[in-house]
Amino acid sequence: MFNDFIKRFSGKTSSKDTAKKRLQFALVYDKLEINEMTLENLQKDIVEVISRYFEIDTKSLQLEVQREKELSALVFNTPILCVKKNRALKS
Amino acid sequence: MEGKIIVVTSGKGGVGKTTATASIGAALALEGNRVAVIDMDIGLRNLDVVLGLENRIVFNIVDVVNKRCNLSQALIRDRRIENLFLVPASQSDNKDVLTPLGVQRVAKQLKSEFDYAIMDSPAGIEKGFENSVVAADEAIVVCTPDVSSIRDADRVIGLLYARSITPRLVVNRIMPEMVARGDMLSHEDVMDVLSIDLLGLVPMDNQVVISTNSGVPLVMQNQSLAGQAFRRIAKRINGESDLPIQIPTAMNTGIWSRIIQKLGLTK
Repeated sequence: MFNDFIKRFSGKTSSKDTAKKRLQFALVYDKLEINEMTLENLQKDIVEVISRYFEIDTKSLQLEVQREKELSALVFNTPILCVKKNRALKS
Repeated sequence: MEGKIIVVTSGKGGVGKTTATASIGAALALEGNRVAVIDMDIGLRNLDVVLGLENRIVFNIVDVVNKRCNLSQALIRDRRIENLFLVPASQSDNKDVLTPLGVQRVAKQLKSEFDYAIMDSPAGIEKGFENSVVAADEAIVVCTPDVSSIRDADRVIGLLYARSITPRLVVNRIMPEMVARGDMLSHEDVMDVLSIDLLGLVPMDNQVVISTNSGVPLVMQNQSLAGQAFRRIAKRINGESDLPIQIPTAMNTGIWSRIIQKLGLTK
């Protein structure tokens, strides 16, 4: 118990506070993890939708998750070859 | 009235799922319910030894699901606690022999014959877990106050929510002295981290080892603190939902801890 006092006044954080912080961080990070399969399916779907409107170069497109300290972003990069004309006329 | 299927799960192994299943099952039976506890840990059965029923096994859950016998033939009646039955796991098969469809069929029958059927899920989140939760009406997630177990509990809670099951949490093996010292996560810390309702708090108790050694249900030992905690958990499951959750407290109330408590320095 005396150790407790020393710990309290020396400003050292208790091990459980460290545990809690690490856990909260780990749980947030765990939920941001995306498996390869999901990413592939997502790419397929995005390509399908965009292809209705644009001619795109499917060989050089890129889909990735960019993680930074505070936030994660989904980045999809694709060169457009041309707009599909018949689509524009229809509407 | 139709009974309930309750699954006891955790993600991580060794946190006390089997002890919790045996204790809650026995306690519910002591409350006057007809209870079946089912060992879903195919290939690594243990619920039978924890309950002291290991030398009475003839048929097992795999036999029932694969229609090699009737449910009644696989049920082992506990001779000490009235209305408590065990369906053991198979020791020779692997977890893939069960199918969700087969488990659901047996669950239906269990619900018509018992007030509660408690499924002891294996560790992990693979097929064995799937088979254990497929028929569940309610779920109990067991964790201990350490980072690995809580992280796994979080994963399992997510999987249960995805199946529209709202689980409740049992924090097991709490050591009040360590919590008071700030060296162990308190149940409040655990609740802050996990988004789940609390069902009960179970203190670390040497009696668990002793009663498992002899195969006597923990809840039959009146002096066991963990046993008492499980009996309260069973009561809460069994309709007494407003029964307050008891927070395990340190046994020794030394001069320093008393001063700290008076000064309000501990949380």
